[in-house]
This record gives sequence, structure tokens and C-alpha cells, in this order.
Amino acid sequence: MSASPRVPLLSLRQISKRFGAVEALVGVDVDVHAHEVVALVGDNGAGKSTLAKVISGVLVPDSGIIEIDGEEQTIPSPSAAHALGIATVFQDLALAGNLDVTSNIFLGRELTDGMLLDDGKMEQMARQILRDLTLRIPSVRTPLAELSAGQRQAVAIARTLIGSPRIVVLDEPTAALSVAQTAEVLTYIERLRDLGLGVILISHNMNDVRAVSDKIVVLRHGRNNGSFDAATASYESILAAITGATTLSESLMRHTAAMR
Amino acid sequence: MTAVAGFKDLFTRNLRQSGIFIAFVAIVGLFTILTDGTLLSPGNVTNIVLQYSYILILAIGMLIVIVGGHIDLSVGSVVALTGAVSAVLVIKNGQPWWVGVLAALAVGLVVGCWQGFWVAYVGIPAFIVTLAGMLLFRGMTYQVLDNVSLSPFPHEYQKIAGGFLNGFLGGQGIDVFTLVIAAVAVVGYVVSQFRQRAGRVKYQQVVESMPIFLTKLVLVAVVVMAFAYQLARSRGLPIVLIILGVLIMVYTVVTTKTVFGRHVYAIGGNLSAAQLSGVKVQKVNFWIFVNMGFLAAVAGAVYSSRSNSAQPGAGNMFELDAIAACFIGGASTTGGVGRVTGAVVGGLIMGVMSNGMQLMGVDQSVQQMVKGLVLLLAVAFDIYNKRRAGAAR
Repeated sequence: MSASPRVPLLSLRQISKRFGAVEALVGVDVDVHAHEVVALVGDNGAGKSTLAKVISGVLVPDSGIIEIDGEEQTIPSPSAAHALGIATVFQDLALAGNLDVTSNIFLGRELTDGMLLDDGKMEQMARQILRDLTLRIPSVRTPLAELSAGQRQAVAIARTLIGSPRIVVLDEPTAALSVAQTAEVLTYIERLRDLGLGVILISHNMNDVRAVSDKIVVLRHGRNNGSFDAATASYESILAAITGATTLSESLMRHTAAMR
Repeated sequence: MTAVAGFKDLFTRNLRQSGIFIAFVAIVGLFTILTDGTLLSPGNVTNIVLQYSYILILAIGMLIVIVGGHIDLSVGSVVALTGAVSAVLVIKNGQPWWVGVLAALAVGLVVGCWQGFWVAYVGIPAFIVTLAGMLLFRGMTYQVLDNVSLSPFPHEYQKIAGGFLNGFLGGQGIDVFTLVIAAVAVVGYVVSQFRQRAGRVKYQQVVESMPIFLTKLVLVAVVVMAFAYQLARSRGLPIVLIILGVLIMVYTVVTTKTVFGRHVYAIGGNLSAAQLSGVKVQKVNFWIFVNMGFLAAVAGAVYSSRSNSAQPGAGNMFELDAIAACFIGGASTTGGVGRVTGAVVGGLIMGVMSNGMQLMGVDQSVQQMVKGLVLLLAVAFDIYNKRRAGAAR
């Protein structure tokens, strides 16, 4: 299935990014197809969040090619990413505590009626989205600062559904959540896949990753260190790639090539 | 499934916001008693409006600056500079009054662009940029005026801050025109409130219950009409009050109903979140300061008109009055919180206190001390409220 020749929704080729002397990303390749959840895993500082920021337009890579539907694109800003159909949930929740739930969901992409904000419409849509995701929020007019960590994560995830994106990037979406909330988020990720979106899931939690992802891409020291089919790969082999017990050997290279 | 919020709910939820109005009523009541009613006499009500109009205009701009997480220390100097430019054109060169006003506004916009550029695009903290601006524009004022005061302005120019609209419809000792305008404003307010309520019901948003809603409308109507009645018994409708009223309405809409306003709150609330969400932070910051420059120029025109002169030292300490008005009016020191109406009421609290103490003949030094303590207590109250909200979570 993953060997089909269809054009990937998102294709990253040889992405490199450095901060001063630190090489955050070195020649990273990732493909995401529609109807696919790709998990990005790796140890702390492996470059996962940097890659998420490159995809979402927060950081511009020093070199490398980003293709969307086979066409080369640059993503110079978050709003450009949004225009290309990329929605992101950041690890450090990109939410404003002083604004209410509706304002946060629509932040940066407010609906307007002429010159003025269309608050009524936004509130209605926000409620619809929260209902669709069966997210439990006391009221869409509650300021974010008054919500729990789990509820804030729910709002952050609800944000991604605005403007019908095609690619959703989730950076550690379950890090601060309870077991029940994590299960809800994973259900939501599956729902995104069923809708035909490409999903990039960044996580530390191997249980989460194996529960929902189709493909697992391992980063180590900012480099690709293996790519696995989630259905067949063993837990040990993934862990070995994360910790560096195995490096990107010839066999893995072939494996990676076969995955494309 | 229209939810109806009860009075207690509304009150506790908006304690910070309702608190400011209650404090204002209490202070007005206190000084009315202390001055044996002189505070609310027709002449004095008019006087308060004229005397503090320019601080209120500055407070509106300052509120947006503070909500965005910045501060502007230069507005006093900008008031002086814009007034000086206007005075040179009108008094020295004999240009008509509107040339002076337009020139002042243009200077204000240029000043705003200058400060906005350094804050937004170079990334220097606004505190530093505007501290530099305070010195820079004060120095420029001395240059423009050649170290001397210019006065007097021609009659038309004085009308900006000292003029009244009255007598169009006659009336025996009470200006009917003023009352008609106030009545029109009240009707407009009531209609807009009803339309807003209907819209909220349509979208199934929370609304106040009908009795509370009506009580609120009646209270506002009574206060506005009583205020207008006092003005009408004095000299009629001050032109500067019309300017102020328009600015308050426009900026209430700008802060609560436009994308720009929403983004200002987002930047003040969580800068990185705003950036990650695609808010064009630099552009918004730039316009915050352009807007402040514009309003400082309006205040400059009003102040020069009121003082009927342009002095090198004009507007000294105005920035602190405007900043104090915002904080007393509920703006948060960390940004992201505050309302235009709050800042205006905060400014009025300062105005009524100063005016009341002046009427009582309280010494200038004591006045300063009282104002300082009120500012301190207002911010302490804000912090206390936040802690309590944090603990309740």
C-alpha cells in the first residue's frame, strides 16, 4: 500500500536547518500521503519540533525542498502554511489565555462581516466544531486561562479544523493529558485520517504512536534514522533507532526507499 | 437553548469591570457631598469635560498601547510638538485654523510611524523608544517654538476645546439642542443594544435576562440625560465632548469588533501564540503606535486650543495621567486586558478627584499624594482579583 506511486500530499526533501553551531536538522526526508498518519519519533533534541516548525512556516529551512501535491513550495510564514492547507498544534500551546475559546480557535483567521468581526458566526462554528469532536468545554466564551490543561489542548486541536486543512501537524498533542483525554485525542487523529487528511504526529509516547500511526519516521541528532511500517515493525527495532543502537544502515535505507 | 445569565452571575464574572463603575459612582457621590453639590453643578460638569478631555483622548490610545503589552512615555511631548506646529502655522503664519489642525495630525502620524518603526521592525522595547521620543519631541518643540510661547489663537481655533453648540433650537435657560442630541444618542444606544441582543439570541449566545437588560438601559438613559441636562443649563454641548464621544464609540468598535483589535489583545495576551497563529505582529505593533501618534495629535490640538497657546513645556506629565487612567480603568500591567470604556472611566475618576479636591481647596501636594495612592490601590485590587481567580481554578 505504501509503495503505491501516488504523489505524496507533503514531501520534504533534504531539509536542513541550523541555529548557529547547532545542526538541528540535516538532510531530513519525510513523505506524507493522504489518509496517512506519519509519526515522527526521536529523543529529546532530535529535531522533531524544529521539523514541525519548518512545516508550519514558523522556521524557514536553510536548504531543502518542500513539495505539496508534487509542487515545490516555500512556507515563509504561518499564514502561508495555512493558505497551503497546513494546520499545526504546537507543543507550547499557541493559545492566548486572555481570549475566549472562540477567539482562540479563530485567531489569525477571523471571520469578518464587512469591516467588523462576525462574532456570532464564529461562536456558532466554534460550538459546532467542539460538538463534532465531542470535546467538553464549559462555554465557548470562557477565557482560556480558566480552562484545564486538557481542555486547552482540546481547543488547540479544535483550531486545526478551521479552514478545512489537508495536512495536520500535531506536536506532542498528548503530553499534558490524562489517560482518558489521550484516548480522545487518538480517536480524533483517526478521524482526521478517515477524513482523508495527512497527519504528522510528533510524540514521545510509543504506545500512542503505535496505536494510530501508519508509518513511523525516526529522527536522531537531526537526521533520518530509519522509517518503519507501524503495522509490522517491532517495538525493539524502533527503540533501537531512537536511541542510536542502530544507525541508518544499508538495509534500513532499502526499507526507507521501499516505503516511498 | 438561549442561556440567560442572572444578575449575580454577571456581577461576579465582571467584578473587575463593574468594580470600576461602582468606584466611579462612589467617588462622584463622595465629592458631591464633600463639595455640597458643587461638583455636579452645571458649570462644573461642563468644566470637568473641558479640563480632562485631552487626558481622556490620550487614555484611549494609551489603552490600546498597554493592551498590546507596550507603554508610551512620549505622548506628553507629542502633545506639545503637535500643538507647537499648529501654533506656528496659525499664529505666526496666519493660516486658517484647519490648516493648523491638519498639520498637527500629520505630525502626529509621522511621530507614530517613527516610533512604530523602532518598536515593531527593529524590536526595541517601547519603553526605550518612547523614552527617547519623550526627549526627542520635547527638544523639537523647543526648536519649533524657538523657546518662546505663542498665543493667542484666533477665535475659531479656540472653539475646538472651548466652543459650544447651542441655541439652535432655543429654550428658556436650558439649551434644547443639547437635550435633543443627548436623546438621539440614548435612542441610538437603546436601538443598538436591542439589535445586539436579538443577534445574540439568534446565534444562541448568552444574554442577560430582560429585567436586568431593561434596568441597564434605563440607568444609562437616566445618567446621560441628567448629564445633558446639566450641560444644557450651563453653556450647551461642548464641541470637545462631541469629538470625545465619537472617539470613544469608534475605538470601542475598533478594540472589540475588528480583526486589528482582536490581534492587539492576542499579542498582549500571548505574543508567541499570536505569532504562531499567523497574526502579523510587526504590522499590528506598528499601527498601534501610528494610532497613538494620531490621538496624541488630536489631544495636542485640543490642548493648544484650550490653553489658547503653545508652550515649550506643554503636556508635561500627560503620559503619566493617561497611563494611570488605563490602569485605574482595569487594564492589566502585563497586557492583554483592558477596555476603552474602562480607561475613559479611569480618566474620569482621576478628573473628578482632582476637580473635587480643587473645589475643596485641598493643597496641590495632597492632591498628588491622593492620586498616587488611588493608582496603587487600583492595581493592587487588579492583582488581588487575579490571584483569587487563579486560586479558584
